[in-house]
Amino acid sequence: MAEKTYICRADEIQVGTPFIAKVRSLSIGVFRIGDSFHALLNVCPHRGAPLCEGPQCGTTAPVEGPEFIYHRENEIVRCAWHGWEFDIKSGTALVNPSVRARTFAVTVEAGGIYVTA
Amino acid sequence: MFIVDCDCHNYWSSATVLEPYLSGVWKDMFIEGEKTGPVGAFPHGHRPWFHPQDFSRKDVRPKVEADNYLIMKDKHLDKYDIGVAILTGDEPIEASTLANPYYASALVSAYNDYQINEWLPKDSRFMGSIVIAPQDPRLAAAEIRRLGAHPRMAQVLASQGSVRPYGDPFYHPIFEACAEVGLPFAIHLGGHGGINWNAVAPAPTTFFWETHAILHMSAMSHVASMIAHGVFEKWPDLYFVLIECGIAWVPSVLWRLDADYKALRKETPWLKMLPSEYSRRNIRFSTQPLEQPSNVNHLWAILEAMDGENTLLFASDYPHWDYDDVNTLHIPPEWRGKVLGQNALDVYKRIPRPQAAAAA
Ligand code: FES
Repeated sequence: MAEKTYICRADEIQVGTPFIAKVRSLSIGVFRIGDSFHALLNVCPHRGAPLCEGPQCGTTAPVEGPEFIYHRENEIVRCAWHGWEFDIKSGTALVNPSVRARTFAVTVEAGGIYVTA
Repeated sequence: MFIVDCDCHNYWSSATVLEPYLSGVWKDMFIEGEKTGPVGAFPHGHRPWFHPQDFSRKDVRPKVEADNYLIMKDKHLDKYDIGVAILTGDEPIEASTLANPYYASALVSAYNDYQINEWLPKDSRFMGSIVIAPQDPRLAAAEIRRLGAHPRMAQVLASQGSVRPYGDPFYHPIFEACAEVGLPFAIHLGGHGGINWNAVAPAPTTFFWETHAILHMSAMSHVASMIAHGVFEKWPDLYFVLIECGIAWVPSVLWRLDADYKALRKETPWLKMLPSEYSRRNIRFSTQPLEQPSNVNHLWAILEAMDGENTLLFASDYPHWDYDDVNTLHIPPEWRGKVLGQNALDVYKRIPRPQAAAAA
């Protein structure tokens, strides 16, 4: 049964430095993107690496020719091992959206971050 | 299960760790000329492409020199219960890209001494590699003889990037020395750049992922050359180990070599067996990076065709970005005992047997 767990104060999470919390036996990374918070299971669906210990970053937009548009800054996490890129909000892998990291609902209440897992 | 990791990179935080192991003009050049700084600053003729994300896993972030070992112990050796890890250094094999063979040889000697003094004592699970600068095979052979009797040196190691394919008689002094001291000759991906200008067959590539995916082209040349020049007739007990050079290409190259040799054997009258038979007897391939087809059976059929059960050696490539752990290695489950450890015992004769027997 999913339950709501207090993680930390909202101001303890900076963009680029996710808070990695233990929730029961789960390792979960909570990310800040601007003023919103998102939680991902800290296990990569590729080979099980600590996904959330990779850099929070942007990526290049798909284009037709040799043009480099760096976008979605801080919305992506690159897995700590082989560098697959995942959308922090949805958990989907950029190269193949059918591959997804597990996501969890995050709520902010009175300055505290809660994850439902 | 007894696990041997044939490719475990021991990093440093700065190449200045070599300063105490250099002397005379080489120390002078190292300090005054190169101003060697942090990781990445070790002297080498630079490769034409760059890594867009750094070479290392992002959950491995040493802050001080001692962290390099402590993190490896925690995140790799202890976590996966590695029985023996063969240290493959990192930047030092890039000394093979330098035009000045005397300086290159001084640098690898310094590295080898540093490895013996500062890495091997850290952990009884470590075995070392005698790194050589193959651009002067006589100096390389001297280095092999200098350290060849060390009980914890498991192999002689050169970069895969080279001036010529390794079977060329130019390199034979190296194999003569390997045979004399009883160590395998291994090559590791890298050393593409500087004097090893012919990085891949047509010319240097542009992007890192494009390059990394096809770097095994030079491994194909080395395999063909080592066999064709008769290295394994001259030194029938010599093992040639290819580390991080891919695997799925092996059967196709051996099929082609066998077919062409059958038609044109008169070119190389010193050979007594088919190329694939020399390969099966004398050549071993490290698993990392194992190709990743969407249907794993396609890979397994290929591994079967190269007798992978007996010719593959496990490698993690810790802590590089394409690291493989023991548990997610995509090989047939019934091969695990051999590939993860037992095959390595045939190749690396100095791995202590009791240690292996106790864990097996
Ligand atoms: S384990 Fe995450 S990309 Fe491979």
